[in-house]
Amino acid sequence: MFGKIDEMKIVKIASIVLITFVIVVGMVIPMVAVPQTFWQFPLIPGLEEKARNIFYHVPVAWVSVLGFLISLWYGFRYLQTNDFDNDLKSVSAAGLGFMFCVLATVTGSIWAKFNWGSFWNWDPRETSIVILLLIYGAYFALRSALGSDEVRARLSAVYSILAGLTAPFFIFVMPRLVGGLHPGAQGDTSGSTPVAQLHMPLNMRLVFFLSLLGFSLFFFWLWNVCVRAARLEQTIFSNKQ
Amino acid sequence: MYEFLSHNQLYVVLTVTLLIWAGIVFYLLRLDRKLSILERELKRIER
Repeated sequence: MFGKIDEMKIVKIASIVLITFVIVVGMVIPMVAVPQTFWQFPLIPGLEEKARNIFYHVPVAWVSVLGFLISLWYGFRYLQTNDFDNDLKSVSAAGLGFMFCVLATVTGSIWAKFNWGSFWNWDPRETSIVILLLIYGAYFALRSALGSDEVRARLSAVYSILAGLTAPFFIFVMPRLVGGLHPGAQGDTSGSTPVAQLHMPLNMRLVFFLSLLGFSLFFFWLWNVCVRAARLEQTIFSNKQ
Repeated sequence: MYEFLSHNQLYVVLTVTLLIWAGIVFYLLRLDRKLSILERELKRIER
């Protein structure tokens, strides 16, 4: 009766609306020492206005993990099915994850300059993101070094599974085990976890999770476009021979 | 620049969002170029 619902259309509209909302609200709501209403954020000493970075820096890092995990899943699917479409999905997700990983590093570095005094401090999380960038840098080097489609798809599927399995360790486990500057490191008494600042007040948490949702949906949109381009490329270049 | 930003910390947040935006634009430009190449290739095949 209503025809087929276009999920991608919902994803597009929702991501645009959510990210716009988060950018505006995250910047505009005033920060005061003792919030009186729902429309005020608390001013945390030491963080101050920079606390707003949580709404942008953390979701970008999260989307990067999402990309790597999706890459793992479709690498696994490729080995199961031998369907090249899964290889395209896997490599597109890894590429996007890599891009967001770079963005998380750069934005984190800017934040670090104003919070910790230096662009780079070799905090455990900073170290682990460098390792992640190297792992996925090697993934693309591996892909471009292999000529045959069959071999390239099989090897990079195996690699993406191995890399994707190490990613959660570097992001969720390692920074908790070692003392560091990020919230949630060993010895941090604020009660926060490395990913979500659980002690955030309700209104900040709301904006934060809407931001996570918005960026995740935006990721699926970019991924969709990227996969479609990759499919087109494959169709054109396999018909040429 | 550092002086200014450390006194106006909201602009640090603005810098962060602009960097994310720049990254997305960069990615789109690359995708755009890739699609242009594919379009040209498709036209060549059709001829």
